[in-house]
Amino acid sequence: MSDLATAPGPAATLAKTARRLTVALTMSIAVGLLMLSVWNNSPSSLFLRTIILGLSATAAFGLFEVWPRGLPPWLQRWALQVVAIGVLMPVTTSLIYVLSTAQGAPPFWKDPSRLNGWTHLTFAAILLAPWTALAAIVRQKEAFARNQKLAFALERSELEREALDARLHLLQAQVAPHFLFNTLANVQALVDAGSPHAPVVLRSLTAYLRAVVPLLHEPAATIERELQIVRPYLELMQMRMPDRLQYAMNIDPAALQVRCPPTTLLTLVENAVRHGIDPSEEGGRIDIDIDRRGDRCVVRVTDTGAGLQPSADGLGTGLTTLRERLQLIFGDAAQLRVTSAAPRGVAVEVDMPAHT
Amino acid sequence: MSAHATALIADDEPLLRDALRRQLAIVWPELEIVAEARNGREAVKLFDERHPGICFLDVHMPGLSGVDAANHIGRRAHLVFVTAYDHYAVQAFAQGALDYLLKPVEQGRLAETVSRLKERLQSSRPAINTEQLLQQLSEQLAKLQTGGGKSEALRWIRAQAGKTVRLIAIDDVDYLRSDAKYTIVAWRDGGKPAEAVVRTPLKELLEQLDAEQFAQVHRSVVVRLRAISHVKRHDNETAEIHVRGRDDVLPVSRNYLHLFRQM
Repeated sequence: MSDLATAPGPAATLAKTARRLTVALTMSIAVGLLMLSVWNNSPSSLFLRTIILGLSATAAFGLFEVWPRGLPPWLQRWALQVVAIGVLMPVTTSLIYVLSTAQGAPPFWKDPSRLNGWTHLTFAAILLAPWTALAAIVRQKEAFARNQKLAFALERSELEREALDARLHLLQAQVAPHFLFNTLANVQALVDAGSPHAPVVLRSLTAYLRAVVPLLHEPAATIERELQIVRPYLELMQMRMPDRLQYAMNIDPAALQVRCPPTTLLTLVENAVRHGIDPSEEGGRIDIDIDRRGDRCVVRVTDTGAGLQPSADGLGTGLTTLRERLQLIFGDAAQLRVTSAAPRGVAVEVDMPAHT
Repeated sequence: MSAHATALIADDEPLLRDALRRQLAIVWPELEIVAEARNGREAVKLFDERHPGICFLDVHMPGLSGVDAANHIGRRAHLVFVTAYDHYAVQAFAQGALDYLLKPVEQGRLAETVSRLKERLQSSRPAINTEQLLQQLSEQLAKLQTGGGKSEALRWIRAQAGKTVRLIAIDDVDYLRSDAKYTIVAWRDGGKPAEAVVRTPLKELLEQLDAEQFAQVHRSVVVRLRAISHVKRHDNETAEIHVRGRDDVLPVSRNYLHLFRQM
């Protein structure tokens, strides 16, 4: 977490200080009450001393919490705080006794009754103050860990929600009415014309739907399964735009069993069709290259279509959601790169671990 | 208008052009198809050359859309829109009393449309004035095609890295720094620090960034809060930001110092 994120506001600082003072005062009064039986002076002088000790310990705790700013690596801050308080306690009691010595009276260590008081007070303070400090540190660390855990859980649930959104989006996109009705219109046209292509196209449509529909419920797919969707998809699209779409696939057989989020490849190919080929009057060519290099799998879809649009967000949500899904599954181990291809078009590359 | 009816068919999918022509030949044998266009630009060009009385326009075409082409043709021809499934468009067509056909085109529906067209041609009524409606519609379609409104936070930055243009996901960006004419994007390419250049001014980018994640710390610097490793304060009311996993040091100017007040 950055400095900024942990820097509390003035209200939080105030609340923290108040909490510490309450603990210090409670401890001081409790110690005072316990020591009343052995104290041979006025109770008020006893409570005044324990409270001064408690407050000075709190001040030291606060001081060494932030000062010095940099510590040598062998010195832990909590150790510094505890040791400082342990050292401070006898110093403070001695100071109290020296300063409260009346004019002309002998020093407190020569007065048996005062020396007795000093010993009790010092003993109690050294015994209790560092432990209290230690308890406070442990509590603080626990609260911090709890906060962090909460933050992680929050981030995780956010990612999961996004993944769900992504899947919903997929459902909409893959069984998109526009795609289906347009394809059906083509099938209808072929049937009406008595074309021998009609059964072929119908078979592609069936293969596409059969492959894509169950995939929407599965958490993971393989490259092989992805190809079962992408092949009929491209066949259908080429039937619809015979003069505008060419495509080629170059698939490394070693990559077939690699696992990936469902519709990874379809998202890339669909993106190339929708944003590359479809908006271009001349159309273009789509190249699919899938390679396995050791423990990595690289899926690359290049098109020679319209290219990156002037508006930065012209990519649509397909790639963005794919990126989020990759992140959810692989964390930083997977990358999605988008570059402009020469001389025209776009190349999108997914570089991910080759899990099988 | 002459008794001889002529028509133009515009659709980017050849099979669908053929299908419509064949269906029209059955329902309206006298209609002569004088032109077939593969996109909006061709439709406009062929219309200007042949002046058909009727235009069948596919809404979704590369380059100029069917609606754009209709805008150009205006009231000089009777227009029939053809679409597979464009919810918004169909709604607008219905409201604006425009003729439209849904793909796959049903013979019965086509016959209805044809009889309406014949009526109009006979009474030599001019085509409906659709200018304003079409204008709205083409704006709406353009918005749909670029993936919806601009209100959404920026997700990708188009940047020049060497000779290639790359799309950088906004989640990978550590900070942005303006530099004379350009904005430098410091980002992570698969975890490794990288830099790229964009032409968009920093101010314009800042407007589209998520304010919870990015903060402006200097006139020329916007930084992702999570990328900050630590902040060093100087005596003269300034500070510098050290970025996680980078040697870079970013300035914090006096105006933004309050962001990093001491605890």
